[in-house]
Amino acid sequence: MGSEIIVVIVVATALIFDFTNGFHDTANVVATSISTRAMPPRVAVTYAAILNFVGAFISLEVAATVAKDVVQIEPSSVGLLAVFGGLVGAIAWNLITWYFGLPSSSSHALIGGMVGAVFVAYGSDAVFFEEGIIGKVMVPAIVAPVLAFIVGGLAIVVLYRIVARLRPGPTTSGFRLGQVLSGGMLALAHGTNDAQKTMGVITLALVANGSISEETFHVPDWVVVSSATAIALGTYVGGWRIIKTMGSRIHKMDAAQGFAAQGAGSTVILAASHVGFPLSTTHTISGAVIGSGAAKRLSAVRWGVAGNIVVAWILTLPAAALIGGLTYLLARAFGTGAVGPIVVSALIVAGTALLFIRRSHQGAAPGVVPATEATR
Amino acid sequence: MIASVVDWDAILQVIWVSLAAGVGLTAAWGFALLGSARAVQFGRDGRLPGAVIYAAVGAAGFAAVLGAIVFGIVILTGD
Repeated sequence: MGSEIIVVIVVATALIFDFTNGFHDTANVVATSISTRAMPPRVAVTYAAILNFVGAFISLEVAATVAKDVVQIEPSSVGLLAVFGGLVGAIAWNLITWYFGLPSSSSHALIGGMVGAVFVAYGSDAVFFEEGIIGKVMVPAIVAPVLAFIVGGLAIVVLYRIVARLRPGPTTSGFRLGQVLSGGMLALAHGTNDAQKTMGVITLALVANGSISEETFHVPDWVVVSSATAIALGTYVGGWRIIKTMGSRIHKMDAAQGFAAQGAGSTVILAASHVGFPLSTTHTISGAVIGSGAAKRLSAVRWGVAGNIVVAWILTLPAAALIGGLTYLLARAFGTGAVGPIVVSALIVAGTALLFIRRSHQGAAPGVVPATEATR
Repeated sequence: MIASVVDWDAILQVIWVSLAAGVGLTAAWGFALLGSARAVQFGRDGRLPGAVIYAAVGAAGFAAVLGAIVFGIVILTGD
């Protein structure tokens, strides 16, 4: 009975993480379409939420990587506590970076949290540092934003050459129409890569509970549907916050740049999802936005924002791992039953409420920095 | 050590697919806009052969974009 309660807590925590992932990333998915006036804000947010949902059903390669290739967990309550510790590590790091306005990656936080908690629970043998962490997480994490930067830059240079002698008015309208496609592809790509990470973690918890055998690994349909729903709802709810703040926060790009950036970001994320790389969608979209801005003129890039992204990238994996490991130890201190996760969940809820209250006393939250803020 | 643990085939696949699709699709959309704008302009000027050629360029651009998106989704869902 105790392990069943822990499974319910872990699944609920994973879906909350998925919701916050959608909420956190809406800015990057819709800001480009809104800032170039390709779509009205309400339409852009609803469209992105629907395609986030659809995208989650496209592939399961990333879910398989997260569940099988990063860490190894044996069926036991210790394994469930480790998955719980990893999730809390990711949520806590996301909250901390939200509080300080750092543009961190939810994906790296999730993987960092899992690695830290499993390392503390089972030791270094249970973490696939070489093929898993380096081969499938860290190298793609470096390649993807750089590739998106290059593709975004090349795409805008080629586009400007093709349409150079056309009248600006109809051309801008044409690129806004194109952004309906490219923005849709970006939302689809985001749903595909990010929802699958939660599917992978829930499946890992089901393996730890003995509900699924490692030999006959599969992601149950209810896991796919619930993860897709959580990220789509998060995107929709997060979008309303963006609509309220966009007037002062989002910098204008031209429609061709928006189209090129969305096209570059979505193709990199979709290609990586196809081979099972769990990318940071935030960093990839930011790379594409910076690339399309830098190709126009280097001074268009706010290099300070780009630098913050790099700092957050370096900090996220070790910081989330540390918090994940400590959370596992705290939950384990109460035994292997449900008491530890219940106490930790109560602490997280209290901590979140405290951060929200402190932030509201200090004025508007810095919130998430949308990718479009990386250019001016 | 890093070289031996990275799946370079997968990385190279991501790189060439992203370059081809990211630059190719945006260029195809650019040709779609160029073709349709020039076709309208040539049609107004009564230059029919030019209008037909540009209309074909525009249609090919639109078809390439839509075809590539459908092809990409079919490939992804076939995992």
